[in-house]
Amino acid sequence: MSAILGTAGVWLGLMGALIGAVTLGLGLRRRDDSLLLAGRKYTWVIVAGAVLGVVAMESALLRHDFSLKYVAENGSRQTPLLFTITGMWSALEGSILLWALVLSGYLAVMVRHFRKRATDPLVGWATLTVFVVAAFFFALMAGPANPFRVIHGAIPTNGPGPNPLLQNHPLVAFHPPMLYLGYVGFTIPFAFAVAALVTGRLGEGWLVETRRWTLFAWGFLTIGIILGAWWSYEVLGWGGYWAWDPVENASFIPWLTATAYLHSVMVQERRGMLRIWNLSLLLATFSLTILGTFLTRSGVLDSVHSFTESPIGPWILTFFGLVVFTAVGLIAWRGDRLRSPGSIDSPVSREGAFLANNLLFAAFCFVVLLGTVFPLLAEAVNGDRLSVGGPYFNRMTTPIVIALLFLMAIAPVLPWRKASEEVLRKRLFWPAATATLVVVLCVATGLRGLSPLVVFWLGTFAAGSAVRQLVLSARRQGWRGLMGRANGGMIVHIGVVLIAVAFAASHAYGHSREFRLSPGQSAHLSGHTVTYLGSDTVKASNKTSVQARVRVDGGKVYGPAIQQFPFATQAIGSPSVKSGLHDDVYITLAAAPDQTGGSAVIGVIVQPLIIWLWIGGAVIALGTVLAAWPGRRRRPTAPVSAPVEVETKPEPVGAPL
Amino acid sequence: MSESASDVDVVVSAPRRHTARWAAITLGVVLLLFVAVLATRKSAADKQAESPLLGKPAPSLTGTGLDGSQVSLAAMHGKWVVVNFMASWCVPCRDEHPELVKFSQRHEAAGDAAVLGVIFDDTEPNVRRFFDQLGGSWPVVSDPGGRTALDFGVRGPPESFLVDPNGFVVWKGIGQVDANGLDKLVTQGKARGA
Repeated sequence: MSAILGTAGVWLGLMGALIGAVTLGLGLRRRDDSLLLAGRKYTWVIVAGAVLGVVAMESALLRHDFSLKYVAENGSRQTPLLFTITGMWSALEGSILLWALVLSGYLAVMVRHFRKRATDPLVGWATLTVFVVAAFFFALMAGPANPFRVIHGAIPTNGPGPNPLLQNHPLVAFHPPMLYLGYVGFTIPFAFAVAALVTGRLGEGWLVETRRWTLFAWGFLTIGIILGAWWSYEVLGWGGYWAWDPVENASFIPWLTATAYLHSVMVQERRGMLRIWNLSLLLATFSLTILGTFLTRSGVLDSVHSFTESPIGPWILTFFGLVVFTAVGLIAWRGDRLRSPGSIDSPVSREGAFLANNLLFAAFCFVVLLGTVFPLLAEAVNGDRLSVGGPYFNRMTTPIVIALLFLMAIAPVLPWRKASEEVLRKRLFWPAATATLVVVLCVATGLRGLSPLVVFWLGTFAAGSAVRQLVLSARRQGWRGLMGRANGGMIVHIGVVLIAVAFAASHAYGHSREFRLSPGQSAHLSGHTVTYLGSDTVKASNKTSVQARVRVDGGKVYGPAIQQFPFATQAIGSPSVKSGLHDDVYITLAAAPDQTGGSAVIGVIVQPLIIWLWIGGAVIALGTVLAAWPGRRRRPTAPVSAPVEVETKPEPVGAPL
Repeated sequence: MSESASDVDVVVSAPRRHTARWAAITLGVVLLLFVAVLATRKSAADKQAESPLLGKPAPSLTGTGLDGSQVSLAAMHGKWVVVNFMASWCVPCRDEHPELVKFSQRHEAAGDAAVLGVIFDDTEPNVRRFFDQLGGSWPVVSDPGGRTALDFGVRGPPESFLVDPNGFVVWKGIGQVDANGLDKLVTQGKARGA
């Protein structure tokens, strides 16, 4: 029953997308408004198809309908309710279904938002583009990644449940959907970029339409990435949160290009420059989401996230090829009409800083992309099989991050066009002085190491600039001074600074050791005392775990465990963390006692400031919401160059990260 | 928002340079090469199947069969043996099972190749029921504690190893096998004179 409903949903969505695309295409060709109006209605067919598919899948999971291959492979009667529901995105086929649902949701909002301009060819082409993308994902489900395949022959009575790592922490309910909301959301700006190029309406109009969409997608992607880091910290048991794994990189690379776009778009709005570049960034962001999907779903790269092997690789690669071909072709066709009238007057200006910011983000993106695909390239060239690990990424990206932090400190105070030395000195004095004071205090309290101290200095400097902007703006406008793009952007900057500082501190000042402890014995690490009390075996419906009781600093008892899920080979360590504003004590059970009352190996990792990573994430989310808040409408003809006098108004623009 | 600037742009004809076009075309060619590289990559799973055991003698594999008899890989010397790690709860195992049945039937008469099943994380009654349902009469050993699976470096079923008549591992496959593929491997192996 679920199989029939679900398959019907998939085909409904596919047909809706195809017929809708053809109708719109005809309407655009013949300039026939009635066809354009009819075509957009297929949106609701697509939405209905996706919803039907998801309902069918969830009901099959909840009813343990093991006649569906997907349920037989990813469900089990012992799995708790939450993880049965999240089972929909625990493997490839179901996650494509989630993708389709999110895409159809964005499509619906977009079509509704532009309902009054449905006959505008720009909107028509954008809708058509989204229809084509939707058709591809529904076609995946109708073909090679069919989530509603049924089992022939005897129906199993139970299944193995989701991958053990995916039924270990409630964050699995939030991290993938957030990530998808981000990833998929870039389809809309991509569609408008394509529409702008096709229609040749290359003024700034389309930018204004898509800016907020990009901001939302970017915000969701940021939250998704940070939740992923948090999840891996809480679940994987190695005390880290970012490992430059191909899948992490796949989500991070489009984030970099999108971040670059959010900054450079302001140059285009104010000065009409960087047009080809901005279009290219949007086209690249979407292409990179598809490339990322290919890298992580085709099995060409080894990754901790490769939960499934699948035959969809060639399909996604073909689609990637098509997207790139379209993007490059459109730019080649229209690009030379986009030449901007202006040029940058002085490198020491807001636009100069944005340009530098974009170059850095492009370099960042290239470095991460190269590291991710390098094993494949090397193998193609000389057959070597190698892997690129953390050291490469850390060494290559540290200078870029430091340069970005520096820009983040000075760019928000730079005026457009040209800055005078005096203005700079005046605006930067307090942030720089505060930063220096902080670093002096750090050194005085015994902190050493060049790169963390540099990051602290630049971080405080950047946060100081951001706070200065916010204070000036709030002084003039009250609480409204915190809203709008410029001020929301400054709050995002503060969040990014928190993350950068926490990242540097936890990398530089973390300590990790393993202790073999008998019950009652204690160990000490970095000022924390860990007392092993004993272990218990705990049986739950979906797993059996050996749980240690460990008292930290004479207070609460924590329970790191080793969990064994039925049908899984390796046992899974599950850490227990004492979080504090100052540092985290991360405890793992590295080896369970051989016999009752025996000694166990307890891993202890003490890392400073970890919690600020997550707080930083929350601050970024808040900043994004404030930045997206519709503020006072500025007149489009507002002066674009900086006024001569200083401290008049906050520049109504955010600034580079 | 410099609407005015964009208007100007439309009026003033752009200089006859095609920087954007050439940049786009260059980028397009680079990306095309990139796609070609990606398209010709083998799956990491296939690569991973290049196990350290390849070309080495197979780890010892002995145990009690489902019918209570003693089964050992060493006793099957002289035959090509497909060592197949399986479980009744594993759907791909269920899917590949008919292929293994086909393979074992093709070679039953000649006696040149056989299948040896190893139970992976499953109970004997479950597997017995599985074989009753789906057929297959080859020896199947249980693997308490997963020791054999560890020796062979098996991550999850189904995984199969082809062991040559001298007891050397010549191939490892992750995921489903099919009868024709196995036949091809055996033919290739014989041609190499193993």
